[in-house]
Amino acid sequence: MSHSMTSADLLPRRYSLALLLLLLVGCGPTQVVVEGSFPPPLMTPLPVTLGVWYDEAFSQHEFADEAASPGDSSWVVSTGTAQVEMWNTLLQGMFHKLVPMQGAPGPDQPNPAVDGVLIPHVDELQYAIPAHTSVKVYEIWMRYRFELVSLDGEPIAEWSMTSYGKTPTAFLQSDRAAVNLAAVMALRDAGANFATGFTRVPAVNQWLEAHNVPPARGTP
Amino acid sequence: MSRLIALLLPVLATALSGCVTSTVDEMVFNEPVEGIGDASVVILGRRHASDYDTEPEFIRCLGDHITARDSSITVVDELDFVNALYPWFEPRTAPLRPEELKRLMRRAPVAERLREMNTEYMIWIDGTTLRTDSGGSMACGIGPGGGGCFGFGTWSNDSDYEATIWDFTDRAEVGRVNTTATGQSYMPALIVPIPIIAPVQGTACDGLGDQLLEFLSAEY
Repeated sequence: MSHSMTSADLLPRRYSLALLLLLLVGCGPTQVVVEGSFPPPLMTPLPVTLGVWYDEAFSQHEFADEAASPGDSSWVVSTGTAQVEMWNTLLQGMFHKLVPMQGAPGPDQPNPAVDGVLIPHVDELQYAIPAHTSVKVYEIWMRYRFELVSLDGEPIAEWSMTSYGKTPTAFLQSDRAAVNLAAVMALRDAGANFATGFTRVPAVNQWLEAHNVPPARGTP
Repeated sequence: MSRLIALLLPVLATALSGCVTSTVDEMVFNEPVEGIGDASVVILGRRHASDYDTEPEFIRCLGDHITARDSSITVVDELDFVNALYPWFEPRTAPLRPEELKRLMRRAPVAERLREMNTEYMIWIDGTTLRTDSGGSMACGIGPGGGGCFGFGTWSNDSDYEATIWDFTDRAEVGRVNTTATGQSYMPALIVPIPIIAPVQGTACDGLGDQLLEFLSAEY
């Protein structure tokens, strides 16, 4: 015996399926795509043309926190888009001209002519969540590694830098907003650290001198 | 009836507020005789300590307190100021002493931006409000006949803030105001919990705001 199903018969099934999906979504990790506005730096631009290359690990950077117990929630925090936005804004303000590269610098890679190419990496990331700190304040610490290379990929300088951010206030914050704010603060701190420390890297200073940047200008 | 409610509301609000004790110490070296005139003032929170941050909502409260009582005073929003001068007023880079302002003002874009903003005074707020101790216990239950809570909870909050006033023209410290406030809050529960909250941070804000108003305003 066969029987056809009408759309009215299908309705309860659709509701059940939607409910099941909702429950499954509820069991998954909390996703946060970091969003924020990053101001341009207030400084005299260095008179060099800088290329920038973000590899996939950097431009799609994310970190995850597995729930330690059934009562806790898991997190997946995507910082890649915000990283690229912040670094583009910062570097455009720091240098006379910023040129995004079409590929990783190398002898066979056709790229626009620039004085040097900056390649940022996030080497390490640590975080503290309220389960560790007992207040709704999230903390994020990152260690960056920067490579400054020629258009052919020859190394010019390589150095590390740290950044730190925490939720500025626990007042009326949702968990997602608190995580987002901590990440935005860490990114702002990274920008501030880079902008004020760039010319203090000895190899960078030599590179700037080779491009006729006077020492006074070399201190943004 | 509405008149009765209007009469009873302040009484009820007073009855449901915990007690707060507050002290204010002021040390002013060079107060402007006729207020700050057309110039603007910026109030900034210190966020460089590892164990606490001055709350952004406390900074907003102080700004609101001053402008509500003297509308001729322009208080620049903290985030607007920090964004306009990025990266020089981030927790990592903000000047800790007035002498550091001189070094900052040697940067032409920074000096120009501050001139545009016409900022005459910068007020740094350093401090926080902490819950110092808590006690009591409360149990809540729900059954077929209804639900309710029974018990008693109490906690105390301490506020300690110091405002340091810097003069942009002289690039010197011209005043220092300190306020402390402490208060005990209660939460008795007999079926329904009734919070009797001591407005500790609000009292500290009022105390400090009044002193700053005396400094900045020609009318006080």
